[in-house]
Amino acid sequence: MSQTLDPQAAAHLSEVAVSVELQTADMTLNIGPQHPSTHGVLRLVAKIDGERIESVQPVIGYMHRGYEKLAEVRTYPQVTALVNRIDWVSGFANEIPLMAALERLMELEVPERALSIRLILTELARISSHLIFMSSYPLELGAATPLMHALRERERVLELLEGVTGGRFHPNFNRIGGVKPAAGGGSTMKKVSQDLPQGFLAETKAAMARMDLICDDLEDLVSGNEIFMARTKDVAVIPAAKAMAFGVSGPNLRASGVGFDLRKHENYLPYHKYEFDIPVGENGDCWDRYQVRLEEIRQAARIINQAIDDIPPGPLQAKVPRVIKVPRGETYVRAENPKGEMGYYVVSDGGRIPYRLKIRSASFSNLSILPWALKGLLVPDLIALLGSLDFVLGDVDR
Amino acid sequence: MTTNPPDEAVSAKGEEAVDEGAESVAGVTEPDTSSDPAVAEFAERIASLVGSDTWSADFGNAKVQVPAVSWVESVDKVRSEAGLEFFSFLSAIDWSNEVEVGDPLESRVSERFEVLVRLSSVENNDAVTLSTDVSKEDPRLASLVDVFGGANWHEREAAEMFGIEFEGHPNLTKLYLPDAFEGFPLRKSFPLLSREVKPWPGLVDVEDQPSTENPEAGADQENAESEEGE
Repeated sequence: MSQTLDPQAAAHLSEVAVSVELQTADMTLNIGPQHPSTHGVLRLVAKIDGERIESVQPVIGYMHRGYEKLAEVRTYPQVTALVNRIDWVSGFANEIPLMAALERLMELEVPERALSIRLILTELARISSHLIFMSSYPLELGAATPLMHALRERERVLELLEGVTGGRFHPNFNRIGGVKPAAGGGSTMKKVSQDLPQGFLAETKAAMARMDLICDDLEDLVSGNEIFMARTKDVAVIPAAKAMAFGVSGPNLRASGVGFDLRKHENYLPYHKYEFDIPVGENGDCWDRYQVRLEEIRQAARIINQAIDDIPPGPLQAKVPRVIKVPRGETYVRAENPKGEMGYYVVSDGGRIPYRLKIRSASFSNLSILPWALKGLLVPDLIALLGSLDFVLGDVDR
Repeated sequence: MTTNPPDEAVSAKGEEAVDEGAESVAGVTEPDTSSDPAVAEFAERIASLVGSDTWSADFGNAKVQVPAVSWVESVDKVRSEAGLEFFSFLSAIDWSNEVEVGDPLESRVSERFEVLVRLSSVENNDAVTLSTDVSKEDPRLASLVDVFGGANWHEREAAEMFGIEFEGHPNLTKLYLPDAFEGFPLRKSFPLLSREVKPWPGLVDVEDQPSTENPEAGADQENAESEEGE
């Protein structure tokens, strides 16, 4: 490692005839799999030269559960329960592209009310996922207070989700052709209990009204913090071209200056009815990835407010056969999940179970850029980069 | 009925239910009807760009088949000339007549691995699935790592799961599985051992409705269904 010494020290060293070229040996540093900053069981084997990272070999698979194989022995409705567990921070959002893919293959017309409910709950899941980021990321960089604020608000959002779906993390709420009649009723109460719980819309609106204030709070606590700025600005820059070649998607791609959001480009949910902005970063550094997510919380709240205002009446379920058989064919449907592009490539042979289900998860591709992005960084920047990518190991390992 | 119905009754009931529903689901047996003209046009454009005449656009999925020899060249062309610069995923399908897991295919297919790569634009919703066939006897294909850096992990996954050798890959080691793992789990010939020991009980749950236990609730449900049907 060559380093510039201050002139006095250099003069002294040359006087005593010691070489100023310091000889340093590479060292292998093992990080994880049990390390808090790796958000689960990610292991990094880093070759470091002093504080500088020469190369990194990520080791994943500690949580590989083989969902693609498991899906091949389960009926389509059963697969819904599996996919909740992929990215458990936003379990609800995982179900959406799968439902959209199956409904496209079955050519089902999903009732508008069901689509609106899906949209509202997906955005709630986005907020809850981003609030986790807002709590853990500053914490990893040394700021403990935002954690309390963000987790408190996330709890409110999870309560709303739980009120409708019955599950905080694994809602398993979507049905092929619509959504599940809300919790609480048996078959005799089907008619009265099948809609949203009373007060849900009003409570959600109240929570969304608070969300802007919470974002202001977080901004006050974190964004002006000099230490936070020093550790994130111009750190671990990912240029747009690299991000696209590695399949980095979602807020991470938008932070690199690419205004690509599947909510605007695909039609899996009726986002076209609502006004919202896509926040885009400029430099693709950790700071931008943080800023983009903060702004996405505000935008998600904006979408939810509009969606509640014009939620259409009607049934929650299209008429589907009791035994779901998906016609022969294959398709790929992707959705903008909190972590990025999530999609399912479904191959059906006309039967009750998928012939092949390829799960394209956002975190897997987002993480695959690590060996490239970490090269040449300082060890503390590794923590800054890992946190800013906002991955979940369940979403990486599937 | 207090016990589980025998298998014949199960399937008969299942078929009946499907027929009922099929009336309200138009065209379930005609896969080609949902082919969107815009998607078809795009698929045709990509096909002519890579010099292929096998393409499809069913269910909104533009898919172009290319020969394995021009795999890397075709993908590179689609990236640079059609502007599909976003690498979505790479994976494979095991087309197999004999299966150890799941249901076998209804009609026979030619035994092969089909490797898929999904590319999309970041300007609009243009996207295409490129596919190529790889023989089962000698599954090897050129690596896309030089075209898309992201192909690295996806190819490692496909290699350990299907046993496809990606030539020119810098580090084709196991990704998820332990180094000593033997076999290729996503091949249809690879059994799911826990299911060998005990069959998955959930596969019959759709027939085991509460109505068999509780005739009253069942009657209500049937009434409700007939009302919906009207």
